[in-house]
Amino acid sequence: MINETGTQKGYVTLVKVEHVSKHFEKLDIFNDLSFEIVAGQTVALLGPSGCGKTTLIRMIADLDENYTGQISRNYQKIGYVFQEPRLIPWKSVYDNLRFVLEDDEKINEALRIMKLDGFQDYRPAKLSGGMRQRVNLARALLDEPDLLLLDEPFTSLDLHTKLSIIEDILEGKKQRTFSMIIVTHDVREALLMADRIILLSNKPTKILEELDVSQVPKDIMDAEFLKKESEILNTIVRRWSEV
Amino acid sequence: MLTGVKYVIGLIAILLIWAVVSLMISSDLILPSPAKVIGTIFSELSQQRTWEALGTTLAKVGIVMLITVIFGVFFGFLIGLNDTLYDIFRPAILIMQAIPIITWLALVMFIWGIGWTGPVVVSILALIPQTILSTAIGVRTTDKRLTEVAKVYKVRTGKVIRDIYFGSIIPQIIGAIQVVIGNVWKVVVVSEYMCGDDGIGVLIAWARQSVAANRVYAYTFIVITIGLIVENSVHRYTKKILEGWEAA
Repeated sequence: MINETGTQKGYVTLVKVEHVSKHFEKLDIFNDLSFEIVAGQTVALLGPSGCGKTTLIRMIADLDENYTGQISRNYQKIGYVFQEPRLIPWKSVYDNLRFVLEDDEKINEALRIMKLDGFQDYRPAKLSGGMRQRVNLARALLDEPDLLLLDEPFTSLDLHTKLSIIEDILEGKKQRTFSMIIVTHDVREALLMADRIILLSNKPTKILEELDVSQVPKDIMDAEFLKKESEILNTIVRRWSEV
Repeated sequence: MLTGVKYVIGLIAILLIWAVVSLMISSDLILPSPAKVIGTIFSELSQQRTWEALGTTLAKVGIVMLITVIFGVFFGFLIGLNDTLYDIFRPAILIMQAIPIITWLALVMFIWGIGWTGPVVVSILALIPQTILSTAIGVRTTDKRLTEVAKVYKVRTGKVIRDIYFGSIIPQIIGAIQVVIGNVWKVVVVSEYMCGDDGIGVLIAWARQSVAANRVYAYTFIVITIGLIVENSVHRYTKKILEGWEAA
């Protein structure tokens, strides 16, 4: 059951964003933004390019403290899949993972799950974009986070790699429950991964609409998926043209 | 054509030009012939005092290198990590860098007089600012996106310093070492000349007093040769480290 703020009653709130505003010089980025993420839920922040989605996710990760309002965090560990892989160039894949967690067993497991076996000694420059993003993801999932943040992680990837990585993430989520916030401007990505989509406007960014998509089959070939995708695209066009 | 062959051709060309100019000037006091200088080199190398002087200069060069690199990198690292420290020390380091060697020589002579300490201290003072600044700038230009990764995953500070900051400044440290190697010989020999009691610089000073230009050229040639060999070896070694570090 989703209430008016878009959260499920009886569930633990993992992140609570309350009346958050952010300004950069004279530019209003957010104005009085409020929403909650409950444990186990995947939320997609869907908005046009440049609306401040990355800034918002950085604020949730405590990487940007320059805002007013309050963000309550009720998680122990987070994983962050950055838009660009952010791997240490002079370290091997294995050592990049070891940098965040010194647990050889978990590292080997993460390498296996992310199909990186045999590449552990490679430096990032020797890997393809898709492989680097897999390392980025392996690093994010390594320490079993309560919350996984994904900042447009598939921007530079082809459809096949993108779908394969999404499948890996959803598989990982099946094995161990965690929450996710995915930042994207791609409706298909949002629909494939999220239980709930928060539709954002352009700057000053506000929440236009929240959509429950938990019942939509996560299969791009499914008719219901395609129908829902089309509905959301219509909603986006309508709501963005209103602003 | 092989690089080595081109190198030898270059050296032969220098010797030929030198021989021609020496013939034209026809004054051993200004420019003795290459044959005379080469003869002097062999005769000087057969004397124990030359080897002792060379050993002393080499020891000074080694000590200066060691102190400059270790202390320069350490201090540069420290001020690079902290904005306040960087802002406080940067003007002092820039001033130190702009002070002419001759001023350091004068001050050092007041304190320690003629001896072993002066040339070492002057050389360190002349070379350390560049090492400190290179390292500090390297630390300050460390990719902030990597430090954000460390913050997200709560990586302990010691590990961040070792794996991110230190990794980032390897090229700057190697660059600083190459600059120090390229200059340390000149600075040490000049310092010995002015305030030393032993070393190649002192032998050059004696040669000047004896108006023996061929010996001045011979000692210079010896210093250049050893300097180039050391510089080349260090360059090759650091290049190997850098290649391993980049490993693209």
